[in-house]
Amino acid sequence: MTKIHVDALVVGGGIAGMQTALDLGDQGYQVALVEKEPSVGGKMITLSKVFPTLDCCSCITTPKMSAVAHHPKIQLFTYCEVDRVDGQDGEFTVSVVQKPRYVNADICTGCRLCEYECPITVPSMFDRGLGSYHAVRVPFSTAVPQIAVLDIEYCLLCGKCEKVCPVGAVDFTQTPETFEIDTTSIVLATGFEMTDVSAKKEYGAGRLSNVIDPLMMERFLAPTGPYGRVLRPGDGMEPTTIAYVQCAGSRDETLGIEYCSRTCCMYAIKQSMLISGALPLAEVTIFYMDIRTFGKGYEQFYQNAKAMGVEFVRGKVASIQEDENHYPIVRVELTEEGRVVERTFDLVVLSLGMVLGDPLARFGLQPAEDGFASLPSVNASPWATTRPGVFVAGTAGGPMDIVDSIVTASAAASAASAYIRSKTQVSIEEGEVAYV
Amino acid sequence: MMPTETSSLSRGEMLKRLRAEHGESVERTQQLLREQKRVQQEVCKSIREKAKTVPEIAEELGMKPADVLWYLASFRKYGLVVEEGMCGDYPLYRKAEEK
Ligand SMILES: Cc1cc2nc3c(=O)[nH]c(=O)nc-3n(C[C@H](O)[C@H](O)[C@H](O)COP(=O)(O)OP(=O)(O)OC[C@H]3O[C@@H](n4cnc5c(N)ncnc54)[C@H](O)[C@@H]3O)c2cc1C
Ligand code: SF4
Ligand code: SF4
Repeated sequence: MTKIHVDALVVGGGIAGMQTALDLGDQGYQVALVEKEPSVGGKMITLSKVFPTLDCCSCITTPKMSAVAHHPKIQLFTYCEVDRVDGQDGEFTVSVVQKPRYVNADICTGCRLCEYECPITVPSMFDRGLGSYHAVRVPFSTAVPQIAVLDIEYCLLCGKCEKVCPVGAVDFTQTPETFEIDTTSIVLATGFEMTDVSAKKEYGAGRLSNVIDPLMMERFLAPTGPYGRVLRPGDGMEPTTIAYVQCAGSRDETLGIEYCSRTCCMYAIKQSMLISGALPLAEVTIFYMDIRTFGKGYEQFYQNAKAMGVEFVRGKVASIQEDENHYPIVRVELTEEGRVVERTFDLVVLSLGMVLGDPLARFGLQPAEDGFASLPSVNASPWATTRPGVFVAGTAGGPMDIVDSIVTASAAASAASAYIRSKTQVSIEEGEVAYV
Repeated sequence: MMPTETSSLSRGEMLKRLRAEHGESVERTQQLLREQKRVQQEVCKSIREKAKTVPEIAEELGMKPADVLWYLASFRKYGLVVEEGMCGDYPLYRKAEEK
Protein backbone atom coordinates (compact mmCIF):
# COMPACT_ATOMS: atom_id res chain seq x y z
CA MET A 1 0.00 0.00 0.00
CA THR A 2 1.27 3.46 -0.87
CA LYS A 3 2.11 5.54 2.20
CA ILE A 4 3.04 9.19 2.44
CA HIS A 5 4.30 11.24 5.38
CA VAL A 6 3.27 14.82 6.03
CA ASP A 7 3.21 17.32 8.86
CA ALA A 8 -0.42 18.25 8.32
CA LEU A 9 -3.39 16.66 6.64
CA VAL A 10 -6.14 19.09 5.66
CA VAL A 11 -9.48 17.44 4.93
CA GLY A 12 -11.76 19.46 2.64
CA GLY A 13 -10.74 21.79 -0.17
CA GLY A 14 -13.28 24.59 0.25
CA ILE A 15 -12.10 28.11 0.99
CA ALA A 16 -11.22 27.20 4.60
CA GLY A 17 -9.22 24.07 3.74
CA MET A 18 -7.38 25.80 0.91
CA GLN A 19 -6.42 28.72 3.16
CA THR A 20 -5.16 26.40 5.91
CA ALA A 21 -3.13 24.36 3.41
CA LEU A 22 -1.59 27.49 1.88
CA ASP A 23 -0.70 28.99 5.27
CA LEU A 24 0.96 25.77 6.42
CA GLY A 25 2.68 25.21 3.07
CA ASP A 26 4.03 28.77 3.09
CA GLN A 27 5.56 28.09 6.51
CA GLY A 28 7.45 25.17 5.03
CA TYR A 29 5.36 22.28 6.34
CA GLN A 30 4.56 19.28 4.18
CA VAL A 31 0.81 19.28 3.64
CA ALA A 32 -1.65 16.82 2.15
CA LEU A 33 -4.99 18.32 1.07
CA VAL A 34 -7.73 15.75 0.56
CA GLU A 35 -10.96 16.72 -1.24
CA LYS A 36 -13.84 14.34 -1.90
CA GLU A 37 -15.06 16.05 -5.07
CA PRO A 38 -13.16 15.96 -8.40
CA SER A 39 -12.23 19.66 -7.94
CA VAL A 40 -11.34 21.90 -5.04
CA GLY A 41 -13.28 25.13 -4.46
CA GLY A 42 -16.15 24.01 -2.20
CA LYS A 43 -19.35 26.06 -2.12
CA MET A 44 -17.51 29.30 -2.73
CA ILE A 45 -16.61 28.50 -6.34
CA THR A 46 -20.32 28.06 -7.11
CA LEU A 47 -21.25 31.54 -5.81
CA SER A 48 -21.78 34.55 -8.08
CA LYS A 49 -20.46 37.52 -6.13
CA VAL A 50 -19.59 37.96 -2.46
CA PHE A 51 -21.02 40.23 0.19
CA PRO A 52 -20.24 42.86 1.28
CA THR A 53 -17.94 43.96 -1.55
CA LEU A 54 -19.80 42.34 -4.46
CA ASP A 55 -16.46 41.12 -5.81
CA CYS A 56 -16.59 38.34 -8.37
CA CYS A 57 -16.38 35.12 -6.38
CA SER A 58 -14.52 33.16 -8.98
CA CYS A 59 -11.87 35.93 -9.18
CA ILE A 60 -11.08 35.39 -5.50
CA THR A 61 -11.40 31.61 -5.39
CA THR A 62 -9.65 30.45 -8.56
CA PRO A 63 -6.22 31.91 -7.68
CA LYS A 64 -6.35 30.00 -4.38
CA MET A 65 -7.46 26.83 -6.16
CA SER A 66 -4.59 27.08 -8.54
CA ALA A 67 -2.16 27.98 -5.73
CA VAL A 68 -2.94 24.79 -3.77
CA ALA A 69 -2.48 22.72 -6.91
CA HIS A 70 0.93 24.23 -7.69
CA HIS A 71 2.37 24.76 -4.22
CA PRO A 72 5.64 22.82 -3.82
CA LYS A 73 4.76 21.83 -0.24
CA ILE A 74 1.14 20.80 -0.86
CA GLN A 75 0.13 17.43 -2.25
CA LEU A 76 -3.41 17.68 -3.55
CA PHE A 77 -5.62 14.59 -3.62
CA THR A 78 -8.99 15.18 -5.26
CA TYR A 79 -11.84 12.67 -5.59
CA CYS A 80 -10.59 11.03 -2.40
CA GLU A 81 -12.50 10.07 0.74
CA VAL A 82 -11.04 9.75 4.21
CA ASP A 83 -11.99 6.30 5.39
CA ARG A 84 -10.51 6.06 8.90
CA VAL A 85 -8.24 7.93 11.27
CA ASP A 86 -6.09 5.75 13.56
CA GLY A 87 -3.54 6.77 16.16
CA GLN A 88 -3.50 9.77 18.42
CA ASP A 89 -1.68 12.78 19.71
CA GLY A 90 0.68 13.66 16.89
CA GLU A 91 0.92 10.20 15.36
CA PHE A 92 -2.03 9.69 13.09
CA THR A 93 -2.42 7.20 10.29
CA VAL A 94 -5.23 8.15 7.96
CA SER A 95 -6.58 5.76 5.41
CA VAL A 96 -7.84 7.45 2.26
CA VAL A 97 -9.68 5.96 -0.70
CA GLN A 98 -8.96 7.32 -4.16
CA LYS A 99 -12.16 6.87 -6.15
CA PRO A 100 -11.71 5.84 -9.76
CA ARG A 101 -12.08 8.69 -12.25
CA TYR A 102 -11.83 6.17 -15.10
CA VAL A 103 -9.48 8.77 -16.58
CA ASN A 104 -5.71 8.69 -16.17
CA ALA A 105 -5.05 11.88 -14.21
CA ASP A 106 -1.38 11.93 -15.21
CA ILE A 107 -2.03 12.28 -18.91
CA CYS A 108 -5.50 13.88 -19.28
CA THR A 109 -5.06 17.39 -20.69
CA GLY A 110 -8.61 18.58 -19.92
CA CYS A 111 -9.34 19.08 -23.63
CA ARG A 112 -12.99 17.98 -23.17
CA LEU A 113 -13.18 16.06 -26.42
CA CYS A 114 -14.56 13.10 -24.43
CA GLU A 115 -17.26 15.33 -22.95
CA TYR A 116 -18.39 16.59 -26.36
CA GLU A 117 -18.49 13.03 -27.70
CA CYS A 118 -20.37 11.39 -24.82
CA PRO A 119 -23.99 10.85 -25.92
CA ILE A 120 -25.67 10.98 -22.52
CA THR A 121 -26.67 14.20 -20.75
CA VAL A 122 -27.01 14.24 -16.96
CA PRO A 123 -28.06 16.87 -14.41
CA SER A 124 -25.09 18.97 -13.32
CA MET A 125 -24.67 18.95 -9.56
CA PHE A 126 -22.50 22.04 -9.91
CA ASP A 127 -25.68 23.79 -11.09
CA ARG A 128 -27.78 22.04 -8.43
CA GLY A 129 -29.37 19.78 -11.00
CA LEU A 130 -30.76 22.63 -13.11
CA GLY A 131 -27.98 22.59 -15.68
CA SER A 132 -26.39 19.64 -17.39
CA TYR A 133 -23.14 17.98 -18.38
CA HIS A 134 -22.18 14.62 -19.82
CA ALA A 135 -21.37 11.34 -18.09
CA VAL A 136 -17.70 12.11 -18.70
CA ARG A 137 -16.69 15.74 -18.21
CA VAL A 138 -14.31 18.25 -16.74
CA PRO A 139 -16.45 19.11 -13.68
CA PHE A 140 -16.77 22.85 -14.47
CA SER A 141 -14.92 25.49 -16.44
CA THR A 142 -12.62 26.66 -13.63
CA ALA A 143 -12.20 23.23 -11.97
CA VAL A 144 -8.83 22.46 -10.41
CA PRO A 145 -7.43 20.12 -11.51
CA GLN A 146 -8.67 20.35 -15.10
CA ILE A 147 -9.04 16.61 -15.40
CA ALA A 148 -12.06 14.72 -16.67
CA VAL A 149 -14.07 12.40 -14.46
CA LEU A 150 -16.41 9.66 -15.67
CA ASP A 151 -19.62 9.00 -13.75
CA ILE A 152 -20.04 5.25 -14.00
CA GLU A 153 -23.63 5.43 -12.72
CA TYR A 154 -24.66 7.24 -15.92
CA CYS A 155 -22.22 5.55 -18.29
CA LEU A 156 -23.41 3.43 -21.20
CA LEU A 157 -19.95 1.84 -21.43
CA CYS A 158 -20.13 2.64 -25.15
CA GLY A 159 -16.44 3.52 -25.38
CA LYS A 160 -16.94 6.65 -27.51
CA CYS A 161 -14.95 8.81 -25.09
CA GLU A 162 -12.14 6.28 -25.10
CA LYS A 163 -11.94 6.37 -28.89
CA VAL A 164 -11.94 10.14 -29.18
CA CYS A 165 -9.43 10.91 -26.42
CA PRO A 166 -6.26 12.08 -28.19
CA VAL A 167 -3.93 10.89 -25.43
CA GLY A 168 -5.63 7.62 -24.48
CA ALA A 169 -6.50 8.82 -20.99
CA VAL A 170 -9.88 7.09 -20.55
CA ASP A 171 -9.17 3.99 -18.50
CA PHE A 172 -11.89 1.49 -17.60
CA THR A 173 -9.46 -0.66 -15.64
CA GLN A 174 -9.26 1.72 -12.68
CA THR A 175 -10.53 0.51 -9.32
CA PRO A 176 -10.75 2.25 -5.93
CA GLU A 177 -7.36 2.41 -4.24
CA THR A 178 -6.67 2.84 -0.56
CA PHE A 179 -3.53 4.63 0.54
CA GLU A 180 -2.29 5.86 3.89
CA ILE A 181 -1.14 9.22 5.13
CA ASP A 182 1.02 9.42 8.25
CA THR A 183 0.62 12.84 9.74
CA THR A 184 1.40 14.82 12.87
CA SER A 185 -1.73 16.96 12.73
CA ILE A 186 -5.11 17.05 11.04
CA VAL A 187 -7.22 20.08 10.13
CA LEU A 188 -10.86 19.34 9.50
CA ALA A 189 -12.34 21.70 6.91
CA THR A 190 -15.19 19.57 5.63
CA GLY A 191 -17.63 22.48 5.48
CA PHE A 192 -21.40 22.65 5.56
CA GLU A 193 -24.52 21.63 3.70
CA MET A 194 -27.71 23.60 3.50
CA THR A 195 -30.67 22.52 5.61
CA ASP A 196 -32.74 19.93 3.84
CA VAL A 197 -35.32 21.69 1.70
CA SER A 198 -37.68 18.73 1.98
CA ALA A 199 -37.79 18.94 5.79
CA LYS A 200 -40.15 21.90 5.92
CA LYS A 201 -43.55 20.60 4.78
CA GLU A 202 -45.18 24.02 5.28
CA TYR A 203 -42.87 25.46 2.61
CA GLY A 204 -43.68 22.80 0.02
CA ALA A 205 -41.01 20.29 1.03
CA GLY A 206 -38.99 20.95 -2.12
CA ARG A 207 -41.86 20.00 -4.41
CA LEU A 208 -42.87 23.46 -5.65
CA SER A 209 -41.10 24.15 -8.93
CA ASN A 210 -40.84 27.92 -8.41
CA VAL A 211 -39.62 27.75 -4.83
CA ILE A 212 -35.85 27.39 -4.96
CA ASP A 213 -32.83 27.18 -2.69
CA PRO A 214 -30.36 30.08 -2.51
CA LEU A 215 -27.47 28.23 -4.15
CA MET A 216 -29.69 27.85 -7.23
CA MET A 217 -30.10 31.63 -7.26
CA GLU A 218 -26.31 31.99 -6.95
CA ARG A 219 -25.97 29.88 -10.12
CA PHE A 220 -28.63 31.93 -11.97
CA LEU A 221 -26.73 35.11 -11.07
CA ALA A 222 -23.35 33.71 -12.13
CA PRO A 223 -22.29 34.33 -15.73
CA THR A 224 -21.66 30.59 -16.12
CA GLY A 225 -25.09 29.62 -14.74
CA PRO A 226 -27.41 27.08 -16.34
CA TYR A 227 -29.62 29.57 -18.21
CA GLY A 228 -27.11 32.42 -18.62
CA ARG A 229 -29.68 34.66 -16.87
CA VAL A 230 -32.23 34.61 -14.04
CA LEU A 231 -35.25 32.50 -15.00
CA ARG A 232 -37.65 30.60 -12.81
CA PRO A 233 -37.01 26.87 -13.20
CA GLY A 234 -40.69 25.89 -13.36
CA ASP A 235 -41.30 27.31 -16.84
CA GLY A 236 -38.45 29.59 -17.95
CA MET A 237 -40.17 32.86 -17.09
CA GLU A 238 -38.09 35.92 -16.26
CA PRO A 239 -39.44 36.69 -12.78
CA THR A 240 -40.61 40.17 -11.85
CA THR A 241 -41.74 39.58 -8.27
CA ILE A 242 -39.33 37.61 -6.11
CA ALA A 243 -39.64 36.87 -2.39
CA TYR A 244 -37.04 35.73 0.11
CA VAL A 245 -38.15 33.76 3.16
CA GLN A 246 -35.59 34.28 5.92
CA CYS A 247 -34.74 31.74 8.60
CA ALA A 248 -36.17 28.96 6.42
CA GLY A 249 -34.41 26.17 8.24
CA SER A 250 -32.70 28.14 11.01
CA ARG A 251 -33.98 29.30 14.40
CA ASP A 252 -36.69 26.69 13.96
CA GLU A 253 -37.38 24.34 16.84
CA THR A 254 -39.63 22.13 14.71
CA LEU A 255 -36.56 21.22 12.63
CA GLY A 256 -34.31 20.86 15.65
CA ILE A 257 -32.17 23.73 14.30
CA GLU A 258 -32.35 26.42 16.89
CA TYR A 259 -29.28 28.44 15.95
CA CYS A 260 -28.90 31.37 13.55
CA SER A 261 -27.00 30.38 10.38
CA ARG A 262 -25.29 33.77 10.29
CA THR A 263 -25.02 34.09 6.52
CA CYS A 264 -28.61 33.95 5.24
CA CYS A 265 -29.57 37.58 5.95
CA MET A 266 -26.47 38.79 4.17
CA TYR A 267 -26.68 36.46 1.15
CA ALA A 268 -30.39 37.31 0.71
CA ILE A 269 -29.56 41.04 0.75
CA LYS A 270 -26.67 40.41 -1.65
CA GLN A 271 -28.80 38.39 -4.05
CA SER A 272 -31.59 40.98 -3.97
CA MET A 273 -29.08 43.66 -5.01
CA LEU A 274 -27.68 41.46 -7.77
CA ILE A 275 -31.21 40.68 -8.99
CA SER A 276 -31.95 44.41 -9.15
CA GLY A 277 -28.88 44.73 -11.36
CA ALA A 278 -29.75 41.77 -13.58
CA LEU A 279 -33.50 42.48 -13.80
CA PRO A 280 -34.05 46.24 -13.38
CA LEU A 281 -37.84 45.84 -13.33
CA ALA A 282 -37.84 43.16 -10.65
CA GLU A 283 -39.37 43.81 -7.24
CA VAL A 284 -37.70 41.91 -4.40
CA THR A 285 -39.39 41.40 -1.01
CA ILE A 286 -37.55 39.96 1.97
CA PHE A 287 -39.72 38.45 4.76
CA TYR A 288 -37.66 38.43 7.95
CA MET A 289 -37.91 38.01 11.70
CA ASP A 290 -34.93 40.32 12.29
CA ILE A 291 -32.02 41.23 10.06
CA ARG A 292 -28.60 40.31 11.42
CA THR A 293 -25.79 42.30 9.83
CA PHE A 294 -22.94 41.83 12.28
CA GLY A 295 -19.80 42.09 10.12
CA LYS A 296 -17.59 44.89 8.86
CA GLY A 297 -19.49 46.95 6.33
CA TYR A 298 -22.58 44.69 6.60
CA GLU A 299 -25.04 47.20 8.09
CA GLN A 300 -24.17 49.70 5.37
CA PHE A 301 -24.74 46.96 2.79
CA TYR A 302 -28.24 46.41 4.23
CA GLN A 303 -28.99 50.13 4.17
CA ASN A 304 -27.84 50.29 0.54
CA ALA A 305 -30.25 47.50 -0.38
CA LYS A 306 -33.10 49.41 1.26
CA ALA A 307 -32.10 52.54 -0.62
CA MET A 308 -32.14 50.54 -3.85
CA GLY A 309 -35.79 49.71 -3.24
CA VAL A 310 -35.62 46.18 -1.85
CA GLU A 311 -38.74 45.73 0.31
CA PHE A 312 -38.11 44.42 3.82
CA VAL A 313 -41.25 43.05 5.50
CA ARG A 314 -41.16 41.92 9.11
CA GLY A 315 -43.19 38.76 9.38
CA LYS A 316 -43.21 35.05 9.95
CA VAL A 317 -43.97 33.00 6.87
CA ALA A 318 -46.47 30.35 7.92
CA SER A 319 -46.78 28.48 4.64
CA ILE A 320 -46.07 28.50 0.92
CA GLN A 321 -48.46 26.94 -1.56
CA GLU A 322 -48.87 27.39 -5.28
CA ASP A 323 -51.76 28.40 -7.52
CA GLU A 324 -52.89 26.43 -10.58
CA ASN A 325 -50.18 28.09 -12.71
CA HIS A 326 -47.46 27.21 -10.17
CA TYR A 327 -47.06 30.77 -8.86
CA PRO A 328 -46.02 30.49 -5.19
CA ILE A 329 -48.42 32.00 -2.63
CA VAL A 330 -46.74 33.13 0.57
CA ARG A 331 -48.91 33.25 3.70
CA VAL A 332 -47.27 35.54 6.19
CA GLU A 333 -48.09 36.75 9.65
CA LEU A 334 -47.11 40.44 9.78
CA THR A 335 -45.84 40.45 13.36
CA GLU A 336 -45.85 44.23 13.80
CA GLU A 337 -49.37 44.67 12.45
CA GLY A 338 -50.80 41.51 13.95
CA ARG A 339 -52.53 40.28 10.79
CA VAL A 340 -52.04 37.53 8.25
CA VAL A 341 -51.78 38.23 4.52
CA GLU A 342 -51.27 36.13 1.39
CA ARG A 343 -49.10 37.39 -1.45
CA THR A 344 -48.40 35.73 -4.78
CA PHE A 345 -44.93 35.90 -6.37
CA ASP A 346 -43.29 34.70 -9.57
CA LEU A 347 -40.46 33.08 -7.63
CA VAL A 348 -39.63 32.37 -3.98
CA VAL A 349 -36.15 31.77 -2.57
CA LEU A 350 -35.88 29.95 0.76
CA SER A 351 -32.99 31.37 2.78
CA LEU A 352 -31.94 27.94 4.01
CA GLY A 353 -29.61 27.52 6.94
CA MET A 354 -26.36 25.67 7.40
CA VAL A 355 -25.85 22.21 8.88
CA LEU A 356 -22.73 20.08 9.21
CA GLY A 357 -21.65 18.59 5.87
CA ASP A 358 -19.80 15.41 6.62
CA PRO A 359 -20.22 13.15 9.67
CA LEU A 360 -17.55 13.61 12.32
CA ALA A 361 -17.40 10.04 13.62
CA ARG A 362 -14.73 8.83 11.21
CA PHE A 363 -12.44 11.55 12.55
CA GLY A 364 -13.10 10.40 16.10
CA LEU A 365 -14.80 13.69 16.92
CA GLN A 366 -17.93 14.45 18.88
CA PRO A 367 -20.62 16.77 17.57
CA ALA A 368 -21.70 19.68 19.76
CA GLU A 369 -25.38 20.28 20.45
CA ASP A 370 -25.74 22.12 17.13
CA GLY A 371 -24.34 19.12 15.22
CA PHE A 372 -21.09 20.86 14.21
CA ALA A 373 -17.70 19.86 15.64
CA SER A 374 -17.54 20.26 19.38
CA LEU A 375 -15.11 23.02 20.37
CA PRO A 376 -14.47 22.48 24.08
CA SER A 377 -12.84 25.87 24.72
CA VAL A 378 -14.54 27.96 22.12
CA ASN A 379 -13.63 31.29 23.72
CA ALA A 380 -9.97 30.58 24.29
CA SER A 381 -9.13 28.40 21.27
CA PRO A 382 -11.99 28.12 18.78
CA TRP A 383 -9.87 25.92 16.48
CA ALA A 384 -9.29 23.10 18.99
CA THR A 385 -11.45 19.96 18.89
CA THR A 386 -11.87 17.28 21.53
CA ARG A 387 -9.00 15.30 19.98
CA PRO A 388 -5.46 16.65 20.54
CA GLY A 389 -3.74 17.31 17.22
CA VAL A 390 -7.03 17.64 15.32
CA PHE A 391 -8.10 21.21 14.52
CA VAL A 392 -11.11 22.70 12.79
CA ALA A 393 -11.37 25.42 10.16
CA GLY A 394 -14.34 27.11 8.53
CA THR A 395 -17.94 25.94 8.64
CA ALA A 396 -17.12 22.44 9.93
CA GLY A 397 -17.02 24.22 13.30
CA GLY A 398 -20.28 26.13 12.87
CA PRO A 399 -22.10 28.47 10.48
CA MET A 400 -19.97 31.37 9.27
CA ASP A 401 -19.28 33.44 6.21
CA ILE A 402 -16.20 33.53 3.98
CA VAL A 403 -14.42 36.21 5.99
CA ASP A 404 -14.71 34.15 9.17
CA SER A 405 -13.91 30.91 7.33
CA ILE A 406 -10.62 32.44 6.21
CA VAL A 407 -9.88 33.82 9.68
CA THR A 408 -10.53 30.47 11.37
CA ALA A 409 -8.54 28.71 8.64
CA SER A 410 -5.48 30.83 9.32
CA ALA A 411 -6.02 30.41 13.06
CA ALA A 412 -6.21 26.62 12.66
CA ALA A 413 -3.04 26.69 10.54
CA SER A 414 -1.27 28.66 13.20
CA ALA A 415 -2.42 26.30 15.97
CA ALA A 416 -1.46 23.27 13.87
CA SER A 417 1.97 24.82 13.22
CA ALA A 418 2.61 25.29 16.96
CA TYR A 419 1.42 21.75 17.59
CA ILE A 420 3.67 20.24 14.90
CA ARG A 421 6.64 22.10 16.34
CA SER A 422 5.85 20.89 19.85
CA LYS A 423 5.71 17.30 18.59
CA THR A 424 8.82 17.38 16.45
CA GLN A 425 11.03 19.22 18.93
CA VAL A 426 14.13 17.22 19.85
CA SER A 427 15.95 18.20 22.95
CA ILE A 428 19.68 18.26 22.11
CA GLU A 429 20.96 19.39 25.42
CA GLU A 430 19.06 20.75 28.30
CA GLY A 431 17.87 24.19 27.46
CA GLU A 432 18.68 23.85 23.79
CA VAL A 433 16.01 22.96 21.30
CA ALA A 434 16.12 22.06 17.64
CA TYR A 435 13.27 21.52 15.24
CA VAL A 436 13.37 18.65 12.79
CA MET B 1 -2.64 13.15 -7.41
CA MET B 2 -2.56 9.52 -6.36
CA PRO B 3 -2.18 7.25 -9.38
CA THR B 4 -5.33 5.15 -9.25
CA GLU B 5 -4.70 1.48 -9.13
CA THR B 6 -5.36 -0.27 -12.38
CA SER B 7 -6.76 -3.74 -12.16
CA SER B 8 -4.66 -6.63 -13.30
CA LEU B 9 -7.53 -7.58 -15.61
CA SER B 10 -7.27 -6.58 -19.26
CA ARG B 11 -9.41 -3.74 -20.61
CA GLY B 12 -11.80 -6.20 -22.25
CA GLU B 13 -12.19 -8.28 -19.10
CA MET B 14 -12.64 -5.15 -17.04
CA LEU B 15 -15.35 -3.77 -19.34
CA LYS B 16 -17.12 -7.11 -19.11
CA ARG B 17 -16.95 -6.92 -15.35
CA LEU B 18 -18.16 -3.31 -15.30
CA ARG B 19 -21.07 -4.30 -17.58
CA ALA B 20 -22.00 -7.08 -15.18
CA GLU B 21 -21.62 -4.90 -12.08
CA HIS B 22 -23.44 -1.91 -13.56
CA GLY B 23 -25.98 -3.80 -15.67
CA GLU B 24 -28.89 -2.02 -14.04
CA SER B 25 -27.51 1.50 -14.45
CA VAL B 26 -26.41 0.82 -18.04
CA GLU B 27 -29.92 -0.35 -18.88
CA ARG B 28 -31.48 2.65 -17.15
CA THR B 29 -29.08 4.97 -18.98
CA GLN B 30 -29.84 3.33 -22.33
CA GLN B 31 -33.53 4.07 -21.77
CA LEU B 32 -32.64 7.62 -20.76
CA LEU B 33 -30.58 8.04 -23.94
CA ARG B 34 -33.51 6.89 -26.11
CA GLU B 35 -35.74 9.40 -24.32
CA GLN B 36 -33.16 12.19 -24.68
CA LYS B 37 -32.76 11.51 -28.41
CA ARG B 38 -36.53 11.57 -28.91
CA VAL B 39 -36.93 14.85 -26.99
CA GLN B 40 -33.98 16.42 -28.80
CA GLN B 41 -35.49 15.52 -32.16
CA GLU B 42 -38.93 16.82 -31.24
CA VAL B 43 -37.69 20.05 -29.65
CA CYS B 44 -35.34 20.81 -32.54
CA LYS B 45 -38.12 20.15 -35.04
CA SER B 46 -40.48 22.41 -33.13
CA ILE B 47 -38.07 25.38 -33.07
CA ARG B 48 -36.34 24.90 -36.43
CA GLU B 49 -38.40 27.50 -38.28
CA LYS B 50 -39.78 29.63 -35.47
CA ALA B 51 -38.43 30.66 -32.06
CA LYS B 52 -40.68 29.64 -29.16
CA THR B 53 -40.97 30.00 -25.39
CA VAL B 54 -40.72 27.16 -22.87
CA PRO B 55 -44.50 27.01 -22.21
CA GLU B 56 -45.23 26.98 -25.97
CA ILE B 57 -42.86 24.07 -26.59
CA ALA B 58 -44.14 22.26 -23.50
CA GLU B 59 -47.74 22.53 -24.62
CA GLU B 60 -46.94 21.46 -28.18
CA LEU B 61 -44.98 18.38 -27.06
CA GLY B 62 -47.08 17.52 -24.01
CA MET B 63 -44.11 17.87 -21.68
CA LYS B 64 -43.63 19.51 -18.28
CA PRO B 65 -42.30 23.09 -18.79
CA ALA B 66 -39.55 22.48 -16.20
CA ASP B 67 -38.28 19.50 -18.23
CA VAL B 68 -38.34 21.51 -21.47
CA LEU B 69 -36.27 24.21 -19.78
CA TRP B 70 -33.74 21.64 -18.58
CA TYR B 71 -33.30 20.32 -22.10
CA LEU B 72 -33.08 23.81 -23.62
CA ALA B 73 -30.45 24.82 -21.06
CA SER B 74 -28.43 21.79 -22.04
CA PHE B 75 -28.86 22.36 -25.80
CA ARG B 76 -27.85 25.99 -25.29
CA LYS B 77 -24.73 24.99 -23.39
CA TYR B 78 -23.62 22.65 -26.14
CA GLY B 79 -24.49 25.05 -28.99
CA LEU B 80 -27.60 23.34 -30.40
CA VAL B 81 -30.04 26.08 -29.50
CA VAL B 82 -29.80 29.87 -29.28
CA GLU B 83 -31.90 32.48 -27.51
CA GLU B 84 -33.67 34.90 -29.82
CA GLY B 85 -35.40 37.81 -28.08
CA MET B 86 -38.32 37.71 -25.69
CA CYS B 87 -42.05 37.18 -25.87
CA GLY B 88 -43.40 39.01 -22.82
CA ASP B 89 -41.56 37.62 -19.80
CA TYR B 90 -40.31 34.53 -21.62
CA PRO B 91 -37.11 34.16 -23.66
CA LEU B 92 -37.55 32.65 -27.11
CA TYR B 93 -35.43 29.70 -28.23
CA ARG B 94 -34.53 28.68 -31.77
CA LYS B 95 -32.46 25.89 -33.22
CA ALA B 96 -28.90 27.07 -33.91
CA GLU B 97 -27.64 27.18 -37.50
CA GLU B 98 -25.94 23.91 -38.48
CA LYS B 99 -22.19 24.41 -38.50
C1 LIG C 1 -26.43 30.74 -0.95
C2 LIG C 1 -25.20 31.12 -0.20
C3 LIG C 1 -24.55 32.30 -0.51
C4 LIG C 1 -23.42 32.70 0.22
N1 LIG C 1 -22.83 33.90 -0.09
C5 LIG C 1 -21.78 34.32 0.66
C6 LIG C 1 -21.17 35.60 0.40
O1 LIG C 1 -21.57 36.32 -0.52
N2 LIG C 1 -20.14 36.02 1.21
C7 LIG C 1 -19.70 35.25 2.26
O2 LIG C 1 -18.80 35.68 2.98
N3 LIG C 1 -20.24 34.01 2.50
C8 LIG C 1 -21.26 33.54 1.72
N4 LIG C 1 -21.80 32.30 1.97
C9 LIG C 1 -21.16 31.43 2.98
C10 LIG C 1 -19.97 30.66 2.35
O3 LIG C 1 -20.46 29.85 1.33
C11 LIG C 1 -19.25 29.83 3.40
O4 LIG C 1 -18.84 30.65 4.44
C12 LIG C 1 -17.99 29.16 2.86
O5 LIG C 1 -18.22 28.58 1.60
C13 LIG C 1 -17.53 28.08 3.84
O6 LIG C 1 -16.37 27.46 3.35
P1 LIG C 1 -15.86 26.07 3.94
O7 LIG C 1 -14.54 25.81 3.32
O8 LIG C 1 -15.95 26.09 5.42
O9 LIG C 1 -16.94 24.97 3.48
P2 LIG C 1 -17.32 24.36 2.04
O10 LIG C 1 -17.37 25.40 1.01
O11 LIG C 1 -18.55 23.54 2.30
O12 LIG C 1 -16.09 23.40 1.70
C14 LIG C 1 -15.93 22.14 2.28
C15 LIG C 1 -15.16 21.26 1.33
O13 LIG C 1 -14.86 20.03 1.97
C16 LIG C 1 -15.16 18.95 1.10
N5 LIG C 1 -15.45 17.78 1.94
C17 LIG C 1 -16.54 17.58 2.72
N6 LIG C 1 -16.42 16.40 3.37
C18 LIG C 1 -15.24 15.86 2.98
C19 LIG C 1 -14.56 14.64 3.31
N7 LIG C 1 -15.06 13.76 4.15
N8 LIG C 1 -13.37 14.40 2.73
C20 LIG C 1 -12.84 15.30 1.86
N9 LIG C 1 -13.42 16.45 1.53
C21 LIG C 1 -14.62 16.73 2.08
C22 LIG C 1 -16.35 19.44 0.30
O14 LIG C 1 -16.50 18.74 -0.91
C23 LIG C 1 -15.96 20.91 0.08
O15 LIG C 1 -15.15 21.08 -1.05
C24 LIG C 1 -22.92 31.88 1.26
C25 LIG C 1 -23.55 30.66 1.56
C26 LIG C 1 -24.70 30.29 0.85
C27 LIG C 1 -25.39 29.01 1.20
S1 SF4 D 1 -18.36 5.25 -22.33
FE1 SF4 D 1 -19.68 6.35 -20.90
S2 SF4 D 1 -18.65 8.28 -20.53
FE2 SF4 D 1 -17.73 7.38 -22.36
S3 SF4 D 1 -18.88 8.27 -24.06
FE3 SF4 D 1 -19.89 6.34 -23.54
S4 SF4 D 1 -21.50 6.93 -22.07
FE4 SF4 D 1 -20.08 8.64 -22.20
S1 SF4 E 1 -9.95 12.22 -20.95
FE1 SF4 E 1 -8.95 12.62 -22.93
S2 SF4 E 1 -10.54 13.60 -24.17
FE2 SF4 E 1 -11.21 13.71 -22.02
S3 SF4 E 1 -10.46 15.71 -21.30
FE3 SF4 E 1 -8.89 14.18 -20.78
S4 SF4 E 1 -7.46 14.24 -22.51
FE4 SF4 E 1 -9.34 15.23 -23.23
